[in-house]
Amino acid sequence: MIKLENIEKYYANKGLKSYILRHVSTTIQQGEFVSIMGPSGAGKSTLLNILGMLEEPTYGTYEFMGENITSLNERKRIELYRNHIGFVFQAYHLIDEMTVAENIEAPLLYKKIAGAERKSRVADVLDRFNMVAKKDLFPNQLSGGQQQLVGIARALVAQPSIILADEPTGNLQSAQALQIMELFKKLNEEENITIIQVTHSEVNAAYGTRILHLLDGVIKEYLQVVL
Amino acid sequence: MFRLNFKIAVRNLWKNKGFTVINVGGLAIGLASCMILLLYVAYEFGYDKQSKNYEDTYIVYHHVGSSTGILSARYTPGVLADEIGSKIPGVVKVSHISYVQQKQISYRDRAFTNNGIYADPQFLKIEDYKFIRGNPSQVLKKNNVVILTESFAKRLFGNEDPINKTVRLQNEDLLKVEAVIADIPSNSSLKFDYVMPWGLWLKRDQDLNQVGWSGNFCITLVQLQSGWDYLKANAAVNAVFHNHYKDDFSGYSLHPLSKWHLYSKFENGKSVGGQIEQVRIFFVLAVSILLIACVNFMNLSTARSEKRAKEVGVRKTIGSSRKALIGQFLLESLLLAALGMVSAFFLMEISLPYFNGLLDISLKINYSDWRLWITFLGLTLFTGLIAGSYPAFYLSSFSPLQVLKGNKVAAGSSLSFRQAMVVLQFVFAVCLIICTIVIYQQLFYIKNKPIGFDQKNLVEIDVKKPLLGNKAKLELWRNQLLQSGAVTDVSFFGRSVTEGGGDTDGITWPGKNESQTVVFLARSAGDNFAKTMGAVMQGGRDFSSQYTDTANVLINEAAMKAMGLKNAVGTVVTLWDRPVTIIGVMKDFVMDSPYEQVQPLIVDYDMNFVEVMVARLNTSGSVSAAVVQIKEITKRLNPAFPVTMNFVDDSFEEKFQNERLLGTIANWFGGFAIFITGLGLLGLVLYMAEQRKKEISIRKVLGASNVNILTMLNKDFVRLVIAANVIALPVAYIIINKWLSTFTFRVAVSILPFAVALFISLLIAVITVSIQAFKVAKANPVDALKYE
Repeated sequence: MIKLENIEKYYANKGLKSYILRHVSTTIQQGEFVSIMGPSGAGKSTLLNILGMLEEPTYGTYEFMGENITSLNERKRIELYRNHIGFVFQAYHLIDEMTVAENIEAPLLYKKIAGAERKSRVADVLDRFNMVAKKDLFPNQLSGGQQQLVGIARALVAQPSIILADEPTGNLQSAQALQIMELFKKLNEEENITIIQVTHSEVNAAYGTRILHLLDGVIKEYLQVVL
Repeated sequence: MFRLNFKIAVRNLWKNKGFTVINVGGLAIGLASCMILLLYVAYEFGYDKQSKNYEDTYIVYHHVGSSTGILSARYTPGVLADEIGSKIPGVVKVSHISYVQQKQISYRDRAFTNNGIYADPQFLKIEDYKFIRGNPSQVLKKNNVVILTESFAKRLFGNEDPINKTVRLQNEDLLKVEAVIADIPSNSSLKFDYVMPWGLWLKRDQDLNQVGWSGNFCITLVQLQSGWDYLKANAAVNAVFHNHYKDDFSGYSLHPLSKWHLYSKFENGKSVGGQIEQVRIFFVLAVSILLIACVNFMNLSTARSEKRAKEVGVRKTIGSSRKALIGQFLLESLLLAALGMVSAFFLMEISLPYFNGLLDISLKINYSDWRLWITFLGLTLFTGLIAGSYPAFYLSSFSPLQVLKGNKVAAGSSLSFRQAMVVLQFVFAVCLIICTIVIYQQLFYIKNKPIGFDQKNLVEIDVKKPLLGNKAKLELWRNQLLQSGAVTDVSFFGRSVTEGGGDTDGITWPGKNESQTVVFLARSAGDNFAKTMGAVMQGGRDFSSQYTDTANVLINEAAMKAMGLKNAVGTVVTLWDRPVTIIGVMKDFVMDSPYEQVQPLIVDYDMNFVEVMVARLNTSGSVSAAVVQIKEITKRLNPAFPVTMNFVDDSFEEKFQNERLLGTIANWFGGFAIFITGLGLLGLVLYMAEQRKKEISIRKVLGASNVNILTMLNKDFVRLVIAANVIALPVAYIIINKWLSTFTFRVAVSILPFAVALFISLLIAVITVSIQAFKVAKANPVDALKYE
């Protein structure tokens, strides 16, 4: 599903190149649950941003679903966001002025899905996440864990084929974090959604099927998680 | 999508109530100011355009070449109208109109001294007045009739039917009411309450039949055939002049009725504007205020961009296109503009009565007028789009990564844009402050310029029949007034001492250059005229009862100069073919316009032609008691008329109406502009405080005091204001010099207004910045630092 070949990313500063990523090549199959690990400054988030097309690599090729999308115009990128990619952020990034239901509904609006179907899909997701009672609350009326659930619900409602999560549990207490990771695992196993997460935590990484260790921009080791 | 965006927009506005109030308030004040000024401009442009014939209608202007240049006036001989009507092709209708005269009209016990005119039947057709009662084709044919306006008929008759009732004019003539017309719109140059037939005037004032071409005493109104060549008609009218006068320096011209009000100033016989200048200033002011409000709106919206940046990033990652975001921000902006518009309506309704009182006009919002709605909706849409465009395009350009990473949004470019906008606002504000001060300085200067006589405690009463022309009774009146002790001096004069007009060229003197016309103001006066006026004699003596002065005249210095006489006293000159001796020269005093050079004046002694009693109040007693006494004495002598008394200083004050109006408007709307500018600055400061919260906290942790931080924040803004002043001061200098150059007498441009403007602008900036910055400086640094 995803194929990275020789991805490099550096910033030129006064003639000096400071490398973020070097020679990153990997392939991720549909249905995998990959955790990207590494110390601060290893380039984890940059790698995820490149996967999410929020950043462009300086060098190398990126194939998404068999298509070379290394540099993509805005219109096509938006199409990908609408149909294939869901983002989950460490800081949740819900829209403060929208209620829970409206936040979840927003991607469907951009996808131009008809009203009746929108309503049923939002209701469906709310139901699955046990948040029906909270649907008319605003984000600041929810706890962090609940906000992150809404964040995930929003990413899922458009039925993406891949979820990119940047430290989804970074701001959460461990009990809530556990709940989120269980959810990811369930989604991965039951709905065959590809998940790529960046994490600091060994425990969280262990939920995945594979771990990518990054150190100073270079992939150090692959770990096939055996449960 | 639209509904959700709309909902979010409303929630956003509600959540940031303070911001919304500042933004909507600024916009509402801007829109309301702009609309009121535009209403006023439209009112001025609508002057004399009520008639459907106005485009083909002209008034005849009389241009007289004289030693001081060409003087233009709209007074023409009475016989001109007949000649134009009968001899010039293309003229459809022509009418005489008298100047507006205050005469008493009474019905039973009700008597009012109101404005009346004498005119021909054609006049009503040219002006297309709306008849409420009576037959338009049958009016003003006889000499003993009158037409009333609706409200005057109401005052005179109450609920009675006025048609065919008889009213009395000055208790002398009986006139039958034959029609009632709609009230004359307030934006008409000719405002009157009743119209009488031209023939009646000629009957009442037999002299008018004799003057022929030698006296200019009426307005001549001409309507040309639609589409007729104006230049041809104009040349034909001018030719009439040269058929009757041997004077190559003078002539007639046709001036469009629609330009009568706005283009009434003539220089060398050519129309050079007039009131239009002021109307243009108001228009520029209207547009400037709206622009300032728009800039304000943009500044406040972009200032909040940081708070909205996250939303933009998130929306982009869940699939929003840039177009959708632009739409959303424009929607919010339009919503705010609509709120501003509604508030502006309220502001306008509240302030219009006050504004009308201030300007003595009657503007109102005509809600059924589609043009009003077009203008208003147009302005709102324009404001919303212009004001919303920058935030919309700027905010939507944020890259999601930048925002979501938690980076501060690149502030550099937007801040400098906003700084530029604030500088622009301050340029406007500083210019307005300077102009307002200079307008007031000029007004003050003209008002305090010596006028050559003492206008304080000087009163005037119109002389009415049977006193009019009755020397014995006038003497009796004078003696009784003097004996009562209410006044110290009494004299009589040809017309009000604050009135211009009434000029003549029928004067010759030894050594006069016959090819040149010199125009004199001619008046008649009684004994002790100069003394009563408080005018200073430059030489010779005043009219006095100790002499027989019937063949003597007084002149002023301007007249002496115009005649080129070294020693005028004792010189015999010819006034209307009658030799008279100059017995005294008065220093120049201002009767007509305090803005213009004093015209040559000649005053003869003739109690038959005095129409105004002038008296100096005795200041040792109470003024109100003196007024009551004067009125009692006058009433006793002439019981038929209510006594109307004018204070000369009040009448004089009216001459400053235009400039005072300009000053008041500049003051108010300049004030609004400055207020809005202050709001704009507040917005920028709010943004800056938000931006630099972290920096300020770090500085505080490092040991900076509140004063250090206040100074640091103020420095940036003071720099902007100084930059604005650097641009504004020369611009304002050019503007005020241009404005002042239209005055003959003008105040010298001093450094004062510039210094004051600089000071005020700095003060506003420092106060605005400090209030907000103080809050930031006092905040606990931990609050800002812990969210990193």
